[in-house]
Amino acid sequence: MEILWFGALALLVVGYFALEGFDLGVGLLLPVTADRDRAIGAIGPFVLANEVWLIAAAGVLFGAFPACEFALSANYTAVVLLLVSWVVRDAGLWFRRRLVTRAFWEWLIALGSLGVCLAWGLLLAGLAGFSFPFGLLYGLLIAALFVMHGRRFLDWRLTGGGTLLVTGGLAAVPALVPLVGMAGGVIGNAAPSATLTVLTFMVLPFVPVMAGAQIWVWRAFGKGPVPAYF
Amino acid sequence: MDVLDLARLQFAVTGSLHFLFVVLTLGLAPLVAIMHTRYARTGTTLDERMTRFWGQIYVTNYALGIVTGIVMEFQFGLSWSGLTHYAGDVFGAPLAMETLIAFFLESTFLGLWIFGWHRLPKWLHVATIWLVTLTAYASAFWIMVANSFLQHPAGAVRDGDVLRLDDFGALLTNPSLSMALPHVLSAGLTVGGFVVMGASAYHLFRKTPDQELFSRSLRMGIWTSFIGTMMVVGFGFAQFGPVTSVQPGKFADRPLAAFGLGFMIMLGHLLQLVALLLVVVVKWAPRWRFLHPLILLVTPLPFAAAILGWIAREEGRQPWMIWERLKVADALTPGLTEAQITLSFAGFVGVLTLLAVADYLLISRIIRRGPDQIALGEKPAPAPALTF
Ligand code: HEM
Repeated sequence: MEILWFGALALLVVGYFALEGFDLGVGLLLPVTADRDRAIGAIGPFVLANEVWLIAAAGVLFGAFPACEFALSANYTAVVLLLVSWVVRDAGLWFRRRLVTRAFWEWLIALGSLGVCLAWGLLLAGLAGFSFPFGLLYGLLIAALFVMHGRRFLDWRLTGGGTLLVTGGLAAVPALVPLVGMAGGVIGNAAPSATLTVLTFMVLPFVPVMAGAQIWVWRAFGKGPVPAYF
Repeated sequence: MDVLDLARLQFAVTGSLHFLFVVLTLGLAPLVAIMHTRYARTGTTLDERMTRFWGQIYVTNYALGIVTGIVMEFQFGLSWSGLTHYAGDVFGAPLAMETLIAFFLESTFLGLWIFGWHRLPKWLHVATIWLVTLTAYASAFWIMVANSFLQHPAGAVRDGDVLRLDDFGALLTNPSLSMALPHVLSAGLTVGGFVVMGASAYHLFRKTPDQELFSRSLRMGIWTSFIGTMMVVGFGFAQFGPVTSVQPGKFADRPLAAFGLGFMIMLGHLLQLVALLLVVVVKWAPRWRFLHPLILLVTPLPFAAAILGWIAREEGRQPWMIWERLKVADALTPGLTEAQITLSFAGFVGVLTLLAVADYLLISRIIRRGPDQIALGEKPAPAPALTF
């Protein structure tokens, strides 16, 4: 059961990197993107469905591995940077067409996306006991992979063709490596089986609904004209 | 202020900001779903404009609900790891349920609703907003399960120096939950009803072109506020039984809690009276112009009542994090430094407050500009010729 829940945690984190990776990559690319309306329009319908993967991952951490939660407070600054950057990026998307000037929010989207990438570098490096400069470098690596993934996504969505699997897989590697490294430690710190049993019984019936909703998003918005809400 | 005070203040401020947006989400979601269903049935322009106008307000409000919610979730891990250490095996379960089966779906379906205009089949599109409503209510349920556990740790047993889950059913039938959940949901309806009334009263008073749309909205708002206030007061008084039995002295010993409770009840009676009077004259209310400024004047009050309610519930819990089990001071992350908490306080409270103000400015601008300039559900511009 512990292994099952670790699998869920890993899937959610890896999924977050592979999916939200292209949103953040497109955000990072904004300052050098000519047609920003179309770029943001392309990721628009996916952002809400992508970012919840991390919120769900945090939920699994609290529910199934509460003893591992110290990982957050042990990397306090990185987590604060992650959250503030994430919030700023989201606000940029919601407000871009509506308040102040577009350019202002577009810069904030790019800065927020960069902040999220750097925070992940610091957080993952911090968990493995590496130093601050190494964390920054790791964050830059993550940003580079996300930029690659973001470009591929824009090509795929706006001009059609090719696959997202390769760059998506690459974008997930920076999360996969530490997850493999920490697997033993996390699994050993799972909640008692009474808690895990309850969680399993409650959540399992909804897994097909969750998967279905995600697939629906891709089928509905993978093609056709680019919407203009964000 | 020391580290503990700052951590508490940070949670209180971000939590209050979060709830201001959540409570309107809870009230508006079913109303927008009803409007959209009506539009799907009649296909009239009036119903379409009404759905898109209130839908835009709903979505704009939701944006801040999400970003404040993100910060709430992670704060447990950041500054209250003592709570997780002591009771994570129990307390974490409802939080996990909230994120996995409620919020994950709510956010995904909301994306489908926002971007699904002119794209999803009509009735499937309507289904997404009902699913958003359902999952929003499910979120409220699980969060209230978690909160009720702090008020009254039902379903858990002590095992050494930590709590373990013993009876999941008891967690769900917690006496601290059974009346509080409907109280919160009806608070949502009250807030939603008053906001719909207030915005409609503004347009009716200004005699803007959309008189029919706002007459209908005003009536819908009046009925919603009437139902909402009746239920919020009813379930409010019904809370006293369970609260005094599981948390005796909750309001007697804490002046701030008693203050919150007293003013909430006062506002509750006032709002109930307003809604009752309006429902009597609901037929004429759209035409009676003298009413409209008065309605606008009371629109913020349900928000205030909702925050006062949380002050009562949470201040009354002090000094306990988990009633008679774990002190708030012992739930603080060990070794949390002043520099850390100051940093996160400035980041979270500063950024979220600015964004909340911006969001309310935006909502009031959407209301002022009226149903003519609504981005949500706009017909897409004809696709430009492909250029490479
Ligand atoms: C006469 C009217 C009211 C009564 C008797 C009443 C009663 C109560 C009581 C006893 C509590 C505290 C429960 C606890 O400590 O566990 C409470 C909490 C609360 N109240 Fe009220 N209330 C009234 C009106 C309102 C109104 C009008 C609103 C908002 C529109 C509201 C929103 C809340 C909220 C959000 C809470 C915190 C969550 C909860 O315990 O349900 N209340 N109320």
